Amino acid sequence: MIKRRTLLGAGAVLASGAGLSSQADVRAPSLAGLASGAPGSEDAVGDVYPPGTLAPRGRFGRSERLPTLELESRQNFLRSFRTWVNMSLSAKAAQRANEVLGERGLAADRELPQDQALELLMNEPLPQLATRAWLSSQQLMWHGLREEFEGNVGKYLAEMEAVDDYGPYLELNPDLPVPDYIRHEIHIMPGGYVGNPVAGHLYHYGTNGFYMGRNDNDEIHSGAAQRLPVPADGQVRRILDLGTGVGQFAMALKERFPDAEVWGIDAGGPMVRYAHLRATERKLDVNFAQRLAEDTKFPDNHFDLITSYIMFHEIEPEATRRIMHEAYRITRPGGVYYPVDFNTLDNPPRTAWQQYRGYMDHRWNCEPWTPHWRFCNPQQMIRDAGFSLDTDAPAVIPRYGILNATKPA
Amino acid sequence: MEDVTRINGHLTYATAAIKADTDTAVFLGNPHIDNLMTIVIALGAEIWESKQRMLIIERLLETHGRVTEEMIEQYVASDTEVDLWEAKKAAMMQRVYSVLARDTSSAQPFNSPFPY
Repeated sequence: MIKRRTLLGAGAVLASGAGLSSQADVRAPSLAGLASGAPGSEDAVGDVYPPGTLAPRGRFGRSERLPTLELESRQNFLRSFRTWVNMSLSAKAAQRANEVLGERGLAADRELPQDQALELLMNEPLPQLATRAWLSSQQLMWHGLREEFEGNVGKYLAEMEAVDDYGPYLELNPDLPVPDYIRHEIHIMPGGYVGNPVAGHLYHYGTNGFYMGRNDNDEIHSGAAQRLPVPADGQVRRILDLGTGVGQFAMALKERFPDAEVWGIDAGGPMVRYAHLRATERKLDVNFAQRLAEDTKFPDNHFDLITSYIMFHEIEPEATRRIMHEAYRITRPGGVYYPVDFNTLDNPPRTAWQQYRGYMDHRWNCEPWTPHWRFCNPQQMIRDAGFSLDTDAPAVIPRYGILNATKPA
Repeated sequence: MEDVTRINGHLTYATAAIKADTDTAVFLGNPHIDNLMTIVIALGAEIWESKQRMLIIERLLETHGRVTEEMIEQYVASDTEVDLWEAKKAAMMQRVYSVLARDTSSAQPFNSPFPY
Protein backbone atom coordinates (compact mmCIF):
# COMPACT_ATOMS: atom_id res chain seq x y z
CA MET A 1 0.00 0.00 0.00
CA ILE A 2 1.40 3.38 -0.95
CA LYS A 3 1.38 6.02 1.71
CA ARG A 4 1.65 9.45 0.12
CA ARG A 5 1.76 13.08 1.07
CA THR A 6 -0.12 15.85 -0.69
CA LEU A 7 2.84 18.11 -1.09
CA LEU A 8 2.01 20.51 -3.88
CA GLY A 9 0.02 17.68 -5.35
CA ALA A 10 3.44 16.53 -6.53
CA GLY A 11 2.34 13.05 -7.50
CA ALA A 12 -0.58 14.26 -9.54
CA VAL A 13 1.35 17.08 -11.13
CA LEU A 14 4.25 14.92 -12.16
CA ALA A 15 1.99 12.28 -13.61
CA SER A 16 0.07 14.77 -15.70
CA GLY A 17 3.14 16.74 -16.71
CA ALA A 18 1.43 19.98 -15.77
CA GLY A 19 1.45 22.48 -12.99
CA LEU A 20 5.09 22.81 -11.96
CA SER A 21 7.55 25.17 -13.56
CA SER A 22 9.32 24.12 -16.72
CA GLN A 23 12.45 23.45 -14.67
CA ALA A 24 10.61 21.04 -12.44
CA ASP A 25 9.07 19.38 -15.44
CA VAL A 26 12.51 18.83 -16.91
CA ARG A 27 13.55 17.10 -13.69
CA ALA A 28 10.47 14.93 -13.61
CA PRO A 29 11.75 12.09 -15.84
CA SER A 30 14.61 11.39 -13.44
CA LEU A 31 12.19 10.76 -10.63
CA ALA A 32 11.19 7.32 -11.81
CA GLY A 33 14.79 6.28 -11.30
CA LEU A 34 14.85 7.65 -7.79
CA ALA A 35 11.91 5.64 -6.55
CA SER A 36 12.53 1.95 -6.20
CA GLY A 37 9.70 0.74 -8.43
CA ALA A 38 9.32 0.68 -12.18
CA PRO A 39 6.88 3.12 -13.81
CA GLY A 40 3.36 1.85 -13.35
CA SER A 41 4.29 -0.35 -10.42
CA GLU A 42 3.04 0.26 -6.93
CA ASP A 43 6.23 2.11 -6.03
CA ALA A 44 6.48 4.34 -9.08
CA VAL A 45 6.81 8.00 -8.19
CA GLY A 46 4.56 9.32 -10.91
CA ASP A 47 1.53 7.20 -10.10
CA VAL A 48 -1.46 8.99 -8.64
CA TYR A 49 -2.98 6.88 -5.92
CA PRO A 50 -3.48 3.70 -7.99
CA PRO A 51 -6.50 1.54 -7.23
CA GLY A 52 -6.26 0.01 -3.79
CA THR A 53 -4.07 2.73 -2.37
CA LEU A 54 -4.92 5.52 0.00
CA ALA A 55 -5.18 9.20 -0.81
CA PRO A 56 -3.17 11.66 1.27
CA ARG A 57 -4.71 12.46 4.64
CA GLY A 58 -4.77 16.22 4.39
CA ARG A 59 -3.17 18.71 6.70
CA PHE A 60 -2.95 19.40 10.38
CA GLY A 61 -2.47 23.14 10.51
CA ARG A 62 0.77 23.90 8.68
CA SER A 63 1.90 20.29 8.51
CA GLU A 64 1.00 17.37 6.36
CA ARG A 65 -0.80 14.75 8.44
CA LEU A 66 1.31 11.65 8.88
CA PRO A 67 0.42 9.17 6.15
CA THR A 68 -1.42 6.56 8.21
CA LEU A 69 -3.76 6.65 11.19
CA GLU A 70 -1.61 3.93 12.72
CA LEU A 71 1.52 6.09 12.77
CA GLU A 72 -0.37 9.24 13.71
CA SER A 73 -2.06 7.55 16.68
CA ARG A 74 1.12 6.00 18.00
CA GLN A 75 3.02 9.27 17.71
CA ASN A 76 0.14 11.02 19.44
CA PHE A 77 0.30 8.54 22.29
CA LEU A 78 4.08 8.85 22.62
CA ARG A 79 3.78 12.62 22.79
CA SER A 80 1.26 12.31 25.63
CA PHE A 81 3.41 9.74 27.39
CA ARG A 82 6.42 12.05 27.12
CA THR A 83 4.36 14.86 28.61
CA TRP A 84 3.26 12.60 31.47
CA VAL A 85 6.85 11.54 32.13
CA ASN A 86 8.16 15.10 32.04
CA MET A 87 5.41 16.39 34.29
CA SER A 88 4.01 13.76 36.64
CA LEU A 89 6.77 11.16 36.79
CA SER A 90 9.56 13.74 36.89
CA ALA A 91 7.78 15.62 39.67
CA LYS A 92 7.82 12.43 41.73
CA ALA A 93 11.47 11.86 40.88
CA ALA A 94 12.28 15.45 41.92
CA GLN A 95 10.40 14.90 45.17
CA ARG A 96 12.36 11.72 45.83
CA ALA A 97 15.62 13.55 45.05
CA ASN A 98 14.79 16.15 47.67
CA GLU A 99 14.04 13.40 50.19
CA VAL A 100 17.45 11.87 49.49
CA LEU A 101 19.08 15.23 50.16
CA GLY A 102 17.10 15.56 53.38
CA GLU A 103 18.15 12.09 54.52
CA ARG A 104 21.76 13.20 54.13
CA GLY A 105 21.26 16.54 55.81
CA LEU A 106 21.76 18.51 52.57
CA ALA A 107 19.76 21.61 51.66
CA ALA A 108 17.49 21.16 48.63
CA ASP A 109 17.91 24.75 47.43
CA ARG A 110 21.69 24.75 47.08
CA GLU A 111 23.39 23.59 43.89
CA LEU A 112 25.66 20.66 44.57
CA PRO A 113 28.79 19.81 42.60
CA GLN A 114 27.64 17.88 39.53
CA ASP A 115 29.42 14.67 40.55
CA GLN A 116 27.85 14.72 44.00
CA ALA A 117 24.34 15.20 42.61
CA LEU A 118 24.84 12.29 40.23
CA GLU A 119 26.27 10.04 42.90
CA LEU A 120 23.35 10.74 45.24
CA LEU A 121 20.73 9.78 42.68
CA MET A 122 22.57 7.17 40.61
CA ASN A 123 21.02 4.24 42.47
CA GLU A 124 17.64 5.74 43.23
CA PRO A 125 14.88 3.78 41.42
CA LEU A 126 12.54 6.66 40.63
CA PRO A 127 15.04 8.98 38.90
CA GLN A 128 16.36 5.99 36.95
CA LEU A 129 12.88 4.95 35.94
CA ALA A 130 11.92 8.48 34.87
CA THR A 131 15.05 8.66 32.72
CA ARG A 132 14.41 5.26 31.18
CA ALA A 133 10.77 6.11 30.43
CA TRP A 134 11.69 9.43 28.82
CA LEU A 135 14.44 7.92 26.65
CA SER A 136 12.40 4.85 25.70
CA SER A 137 9.46 6.97 24.57
CA GLN A 138 11.82 9.14 22.53
CA GLN A 139 13.48 6.10 20.95
CA LEU A 140 10.05 4.73 20.05
CA MET A 141 9.05 8.07 18.58
CA TRP A 142 12.13 8.16 16.34
CA HIS A 143 11.68 4.50 15.44
CA GLY A 144 8.13 5.08 14.21
CA LEU A 145 9.06 8.12 12.14
CA ARG A 146 12.13 6.39 10.79
CA GLU A 147 10.08 3.40 9.69
CA GLU A 148 7.88 5.72 7.62
CA PHE A 149 10.39 8.19 6.21
CA GLU A 150 13.35 5.88 5.69
CA GLY A 151 11.07 3.05 4.63
CA ASN A 152 9.70 5.23 1.83
CA VAL A 153 12.86 7.25 1.31
CA GLY A 154 12.63 7.14 -2.48
CA LYS A 155 9.24 8.79 -2.49
CA TYR A 156 10.14 11.46 0.03
CA LEU A 157 13.35 12.28 -1.80
CA ALA A 158 11.43 12.44 -5.07
CA GLU A 159 9.05 14.98 -3.57
CA MET A 160 11.97 17.16 -2.53
CA GLU A 161 13.77 16.67 -5.83
CA ALA A 162 10.64 17.76 -7.66
CA VAL A 163 10.87 21.21 -6.10
CA ASP A 164 14.65 21.63 -5.76
CA ASP A 165 14.64 23.89 -8.81
CA TYR A 166 11.23 25.39 -8.15
CA GLY A 167 10.24 28.31 -5.92
CA PRO A 168 12.80 30.32 -3.94
CA TYR A 169 16.58 29.89 -4.10
CA LEU A 170 18.04 26.62 -2.82
CA GLU A 171 21.75 25.85 -2.67
CA LEU A 172 22.90 22.32 -1.89
CA ASN A 173 26.55 21.39 -1.58
CA PRO A 174 27.41 17.69 -1.41
CA ASP A 175 31.08 18.62 -1.04
CA LEU A 176 30.62 20.79 2.05
CA PRO A 177 33.25 19.74 4.61
CA VAL A 178 30.95 19.11 7.55
CA PRO A 179 32.85 19.43 10.86
CA ASP A 180 32.65 16.50 13.26
CA TYR A 181 30.92 18.52 15.96
CA ILE A 182 27.79 18.76 13.77
CA ARG A 183 27.75 15.07 12.89
CA HIS A 184 26.48 13.83 16.25
CA GLU A 185 23.01 12.34 16.54
CA ILE A 186 21.65 15.27 18.56
CA HIS A 187 18.49 14.30 20.49
CA ILE A 188 19.34 10.73 19.39
CA MET A 189 17.70 11.59 16.08
CA PRO A 190 18.75 8.81 13.68
CA GLY A 191 21.55 10.23 11.53
CA GLY A 192 21.42 13.59 13.29
CA TYR A 193 21.03 16.86 11.41
CA VAL A 194 23.42 15.98 8.59
CA GLY A 195 23.46 12.20 8.30
CA ASN A 196 20.01 11.18 7.16
CA PRO A 197 18.58 11.90 3.69
CA VAL A 198 15.20 12.57 5.32
CA ALA A 199 16.61 14.46 8.33
CA GLY A 200 14.25 17.38 7.73
CA HIS A 201 11.17 15.18 7.87
CA LEU A 202 12.39 13.41 11.01
CA TYR A 203 13.37 16.66 12.72
CA HIS A 204 10.12 18.45 11.94
CA TYR A 205 7.77 15.73 13.15
CA GLY A 206 10.05 14.66 15.99
CA THR A 207 10.65 18.09 17.49
CA ASN A 208 6.94 18.90 17.24
CA GLY A 209 6.65 16.10 19.79
CA PHE A 210 9.31 17.74 21.98
CA TYR A 211 7.22 20.90 22.16
CA MET A 212 4.31 18.77 23.40
CA GLY A 213 1.79 20.44 21.10
CA ARG A 214 2.87 24.05 21.68
CA ASN A 215 4.63 24.50 18.34
CA ASP A 216 2.69 22.44 15.81
CA ASN A 217 2.19 25.58 13.75
CA ASP A 218 5.53 27.20 14.58
CA GLU A 219 3.88 29.31 17.26
CA ILE A 220 7.07 29.63 19.31
CA HIS A 221 9.15 30.56 16.25
CA SER A 222 6.53 33.11 15.19
CA GLY A 223 6.38 34.64 18.66
CA ALA A 224 10.16 34.95 18.83
CA ALA A 225 10.29 36.46 15.33
CA GLN A 226 7.71 39.05 16.29
CA ARG A 227 9.71 40.09 19.35
CA LEU A 228 13.15 40.15 17.74
CA PRO A 229 14.64 43.66 18.02
CA VAL A 230 15.45 45.63 14.86
CA PRO A 231 18.28 48.09 14.18
CA ALA A 232 17.84 51.56 15.66
CA ASP A 233 17.36 53.08 12.19
CA GLY A 234 14.50 50.64 11.55
CA GLN A 235 16.05 49.42 8.29
CA VAL A 236 15.62 45.67 7.73
CA ARG A 237 16.38 44.74 4.13
CA ARG A 238 18.38 41.55 4.62
CA ILE A 239 17.98 38.90 7.33
CA LEU A 240 20.00 35.76 8.02
CA ASP A 241 19.05 32.79 10.20
CA LEU A 242 22.13 30.73 11.06
CA GLY A 243 21.67 26.99 11.65
CA THR A 244 18.18 27.32 10.26
CA GLY A 245 17.30 23.62 10.45
CA VAL A 246 13.97 23.15 8.68
CA GLY A 247 13.61 26.92 8.31
CA GLN A 248 10.87 27.57 10.86
CA PHE A 249 12.47 30.73 12.26
CA ALA A 250 13.53 32.03 8.84
CA MET A 251 9.99 31.63 7.54
CA ALA A 252 8.55 33.31 10.63
CA LEU A 253 10.91 36.24 10.00
CA LYS A 254 9.79 36.44 6.39
CA GLU A 255 6.21 36.65 7.62
CA ARG A 256 7.14 39.55 9.90
CA PHE A 257 9.33 41.29 7.28
CA PRO A 258 7.69 40.37 3.95
CA ASP A 259 9.76 42.87 1.95
CA ALA A 260 13.11 41.73 3.33
CA GLU A 261 15.47 39.27 1.64
CA VAL A 262 15.57 36.38 4.08
CA TRP A 263 18.21 33.64 4.15
CA GLY A 264 18.49 30.46 6.18
CA ILE A 265 21.70 28.44 6.15
CA ASP A 266 22.50 25.09 7.73
CA ALA A 267 25.20 22.44 7.41
CA GLY A 268 22.51 19.80 6.96
CA GLY A 269 21.65 19.44 3.26
CA PRO A 270 18.51 17.36 3.91
CA MET A 271 17.40 19.97 6.45
CA VAL A 272 17.57 22.96 4.10
CA ARG A 273 16.12 20.84 1.31
CA TYR A 274 13.07 20.14 3.44
CA ALA A 275 12.99 23.80 4.52
CA HIS A 276 12.91 24.79 0.85
CA LEU A 277 10.11 22.33 0.21
CA ARG A 278 8.05 23.84 3.03
CA ALA A 279 8.79 27.41 1.95
CA THR A 280 7.69 26.55 -1.57
CA GLU A 281 4.58 24.92 -0.25
CA ARG A 282 3.81 27.95 1.92
CA LYS A 283 4.67 30.37 -0.89
CA LEU A 284 7.27 32.13 1.22
CA ASP A 285 10.21 33.58 -0.66
CA VAL A 286 12.99 32.46 1.69
CA ASN A 287 16.42 31.48 0.37
CA PHE A 288 18.05 28.39 1.84
CA ALA A 289 21.66 27.26 1.48
CA GLN A 290 23.74 24.36 2.76
CA ARG A 291 26.59 26.32 4.31
CA LEU A 292 28.46 26.58 7.60
CA ALA A 293 27.62 29.28 10.13
CA GLU A 294 31.34 29.86 10.68
CA ASP A 295 31.94 30.34 6.94
CA THR A 296 28.77 31.85 5.47
CA LYS A 297 30.27 33.09 2.15
CA PHE A 298 28.29 36.34 2.43
CA PRO A 299 30.00 39.73 1.84
CA ASP A 300 31.13 41.98 4.68
CA ASN A 301 28.49 44.25 6.31
CA HIS A 302 25.72 42.51 4.39
CA PHE A 303 22.85 41.87 6.81
CA ASP A 304 20.67 44.19 8.86
CA LEU A 305 19.58 41.41 11.18
CA ILE A 306 21.27 38.10 11.99
CA THR A 307 19.87 35.52 14.33
CA SER A 308 19.75 31.81 15.15
CA TYR A 309 17.21 29.73 17.00
CA ILE A 310 18.60 27.55 19.83
CA MET A 311 21.61 26.65 17.70
CA PHE A 312 24.52 27.54 19.96
CA HIS A 313 23.97 24.95 22.66
CA GLU A 314 24.60 22.34 19.92
CA ILE A 315 27.93 23.91 18.90
CA GLU A 316 31.44 23.15 20.15
CA PRO A 317 33.40 25.90 21.96
CA GLU A 318 35.86 26.97 19.24
CA ALA A 319 33.18 26.98 16.55
CA THR A 320 30.99 29.13 18.83
CA ARG A 321 33.72 31.77 18.91
CA ARG A 322 34.27 31.60 15.14
CA ILE A 323 30.55 31.88 14.39
CA MET A 324 30.28 35.02 16.52
CA HIS A 325 33.21 36.57 14.65
CA GLU A 326 31.68 35.59 11.31
CA ALA A 327 28.37 37.14 12.39
CA TYR A 328 30.22 40.35 13.20
CA ARG A 329 31.88 40.39 9.77
CA ILE A 330 28.62 40.10 7.85
CA THR A 331 26.43 42.34 10.07
CA ARG A 332 26.27 45.89 8.69
CA PRO A 333 27.23 48.77 11.01
CA GLY A 334 24.20 49.48 13.15
CA GLY A 335 22.80 46.04 12.40
CA VAL A 336 21.50 43.68 15.06
CA TYR A 337 22.79 40.23 15.97
CA TYR A 338 20.51 38.33 18.34
CA PRO A 339 21.12 34.58 18.71
CA VAL A 340 18.18 33.04 20.57
CA ASP A 341 19.26 30.35 23.01
CA PHE A 342 19.00 29.05 26.55
CA ASN A 343 19.79 31.45 29.32
CA THR A 344 23.31 31.38 30.76
CA LEU A 345 23.19 34.38 33.10
CA ASP A 346 21.78 34.53 36.62
CA ASN A 347 20.20 31.10 36.42
CA PRO A 348 18.77 30.00 39.77
CA PRO A 349 20.69 27.18 41.49
CA ARG A 350 19.74 23.82 40.02
CA THR A 351 18.26 21.18 42.26
CA ALA A 352 19.93 17.80 42.49
CA TRP A 353 17.20 16.38 40.26
CA GLN A 354 17.75 19.11 37.63
CA GLN A 355 21.47 18.43 37.68
CA TYR A 356 20.89 14.70 37.33
CA ARG A 357 18.39 15.28 34.51
CA GLY A 358 20.72 17.77 32.83
CA TYR A 359 23.51 15.25 32.85
CA MET A 360 21.26 12.52 31.43
CA ASP A 361 20.19 14.91 28.67
CA HIS A 362 23.82 15.70 27.88
CA ARG A 363 25.06 12.12 27.97
CA TRP A 364 22.17 9.98 26.74
CA ASN A 365 20.06 12.39 24.72
CA CYS A 366 23.27 13.18 22.82
CA GLU A 367 23.68 16.85 23.70
CA PRO A 368 27.49 16.92 23.65
CA TRP A 369 27.91 20.70 23.83
CA THR A 370 25.09 21.85 26.12
CA PRO A 371 27.21 21.99 29.32
CA HIS A 372 29.73 24.11 27.45
CA TRP A 373 27.05 26.61 26.45
CA ARG A 374 25.87 26.91 30.04
CA PHE A 375 29.28 28.06 31.22
CA CYS A 376 30.95 29.65 28.17
CA ASN A 377 29.91 33.25 28.89
CA PRO A 378 28.48 34.05 25.44
CA GLN A 379 27.95 37.66 26.49
CA GLN A 380 31.71 38.16 26.72
CA MET A 381 32.31 36.20 23.52
CA ILE A 382 29.92 38.46 21.62
CA ARG A 383 31.64 41.55 23.01
CA ASP A 384 35.03 40.06 22.09
CA ALA A 385 33.77 39.66 18.53
CA GLY A 386 33.21 43.45 18.42
CA PHE A 387 29.49 43.86 19.15
CA SER A 388 28.00 46.06 21.85
CA LEU A 389 25.48 44.20 24.00
CA ASP A 390 22.23 45.28 25.62
CA THR A 391 21.33 42.69 28.25
CA ASP A 392 18.44 44.76 29.63
CA ALA A 393 16.20 44.25 26.61
CA PRO A 394 13.30 41.81 27.01
CA ALA A 395 13.98 38.20 26.04
CA VAL A 396 12.39 37.20 22.74
CA ILE A 397 11.33 33.95 24.38
CA PRO A 398 10.44 34.20 28.06
CA ARG A 399 13.16 32.80 30.34
CA TYR A 400 15.61 32.39 27.44
CA GLY A 401 18.86 34.31 27.27
CA ILE A 402 19.15 37.92 26.14
CA LEU A 403 21.89 38.35 23.54
CA ASN A 404 20.81 41.60 21.93
CA ALA A 405 23.96 42.72 20.12
CA THR A 406 24.58 45.65 17.79
CA LYS A 407 27.53 46.23 15.50
CA PRO A 408 28.80 49.73 16.26
CA ALA A 409 28.03 52.19 13.46
CA MET B 1 20.80 3.02 4.69
CA GLU B 2 24.53 2.33 4.68
CA ASP B 3 25.67 4.93 2.17
CA VAL B 4 23.65 7.99 3.03
CA THR B 5 25.21 10.19 0.36
CA ARG B 6 23.41 8.59 -2.58
CA ILE B 7 20.23 6.58 -3.07
CA ASN B 8 19.63 4.90 -6.41
CA GLY B 9 22.34 7.14 -7.83
CA HIS B 10 20.71 10.36 -6.64
CA LEU B 11 22.53 12.74 -4.31
CA THR B 12 20.96 13.06 -0.86
CA TYR B 13 23.24 15.88 0.45
CA ALA B 14 23.67 13.86 3.65
CA THR B 15 26.98 12.80 5.15
CA ALA B 16 27.94 10.09 7.63
CA ALA B 17 26.85 10.73 11.21
CA ILE B 18 28.66 9.95 14.45
CA LYS B 19 26.34 7.42 16.05
CA ALA B 20 24.96 7.89 19.54
CA ASP B 21 25.38 4.99 21.96
CA THR B 22 22.08 5.47 23.82
CA ASP B 23 20.90 1.99 22.83
CA THR B 24 23.53 0.59 25.19
CA ALA B 25 22.44 2.57 28.25
CA VAL B 26 21.11 0.58 31.21
CA PHE B 27 19.12 2.42 33.88
CA LEU B 28 17.15 -0.32 35.59
CA GLY B 29 19.97 -2.63 36.59
CA ASN B 30 19.48 -5.16 33.83
CA PRO B 31 19.25 -4.40 30.08
CA HIS B 32 16.32 -6.80 29.74
CA ILE B 33 14.33 -4.84 32.30
CA ASP B 34 15.13 -1.68 30.35
CA ASN B 35 13.80 -3.44 27.27
CA LEU B 36 10.63 -4.37 29.13
CA MET B 37 10.04 -0.72 29.95
CA THR B 38 10.30 0.11 26.25
CA ILE B 39 7.89 -2.73 25.45
CA VAL B 40 5.38 -1.46 28.00
CA ILE B 41 5.37 1.99 26.40
CA ALA B 42 5.17 0.52 22.89
CA LEU B 43 2.19 -1.60 23.90
CA GLY B 44 0.46 1.49 25.25
CA ALA B 45 0.89 3.11 21.84
CA GLU B 46 -0.49 0.01 20.12
CA ILE B 47 -3.53 -0.05 22.42
CA TRP B 48 -4.21 3.64 21.94
CA GLU B 49 -4.00 3.23 18.16
CA SER B 50 -6.63 0.45 18.30
CA LYS B 51 -8.78 2.44 20.69
CA GLN B 52 -8.70 5.54 18.53
CA ARG B 53 -9.52 3.50 15.42
CA MET B 54 -12.46 1.98 17.23
CA LEU B 55 -13.73 5.39 18.28
CA ILE B 56 -13.55 6.55 14.67
CA ILE B 57 -15.34 3.45 13.40
CA GLU B 58 -18.11 3.88 15.96
CA ARG B 59 -18.56 7.51 14.96
CA LEU B 60 -18.61 6.68 11.25
CA LEU B 61 -21.18 3.95 11.75
CA GLU B 62 -23.36 6.29 13.78
CA THR B 63 -23.26 9.03 11.19
CA HIS B 64 -22.93 7.14 7.88
CA GLY B 65 -24.10 3.63 8.66
CA ARG B 66 -21.06 2.22 6.87
CA VAL B 67 -17.31 2.36 7.08
CA THR B 68 -14.40 1.87 4.70
CA GLU B 69 -10.65 1.94 5.27
CA GLU B 70 -10.48 5.17 3.30
CA MET B 71 -13.12 6.78 5.54
CA ILE B 72 -11.19 5.77 8.65
CA GLU B 73 -7.89 7.07 7.36
CA GLN B 74 -9.39 10.34 6.16
CA TYR B 75 -11.42 10.98 9.29
CA VAL B 76 -10.92 14.43 10.78
CA ALA B 77 -12.01 14.73 14.39
CA SER B 78 -13.94 17.76 15.57
CA ASP B 79 -12.49 19.89 18.36
CA THR B 80 -14.99 18.32 20.75
CA GLU B 81 -13.86 14.84 19.76
CA VAL B 82 -10.21 15.79 20.10
CA ASP B 83 -10.89 16.99 23.64
CA LEU B 84 -12.80 13.80 24.41
CA TRP B 85 -10.01 11.62 23.02
CA GLU B 86 -7.40 13.53 25.00
CA ALA B 87 -9.43 12.96 28.17
CA LYS B 88 -9.75 9.24 27.40
CA LYS B 89 -6.03 9.01 26.73
CA ALA B 90 -5.16 10.85 29.94
CA ALA B 91 -7.45 8.52 31.89
CA MET B 92 -5.85 5.47 30.28
CA MET B 93 -2.40 6.83 31.05
CA GLN B 94 -3.39 7.32 34.65
CA ARG B 95 -4.92 3.84 34.97
CA VAL B 96 -2.03 2.05 33.35
CA TYR B 97 1.08 3.99 34.25
CA SER B 98 0.47 5.82 37.51
CA VAL B 99 1.88 2.85 39.42
CA LEU B 100 5.28 3.84 38.06
CA ALA B 101 5.14 7.03 40.10
CA ARG B 102 4.22 5.37 43.38
CA ASP B 103 6.36 5.94 46.42
CA THR B 104 8.87 3.08 46.62
CA SER B 105 10.89 4.43 49.52
CA SER B 106 9.49 1.72 51.79
CA ALA B 107 9.98 -1.08 49.28
CA GLN B 108 11.43 -4.24 50.81
CA PRO B 109 12.88 -7.51 49.52
CA PHE B 110 10.36 -10.25 48.66
CA ASN B 111 11.73 -12.52 51.39
CA SER B 112 11.25 -9.99 54.18
CA PRO B 113 9.61 -11.54 57.27
CA PHE B 114 6.12 -10.62 58.42
CA PRO B 115 6.31 -7.40 60.40
CA TYR B 116 4.02 -8.80 63.09
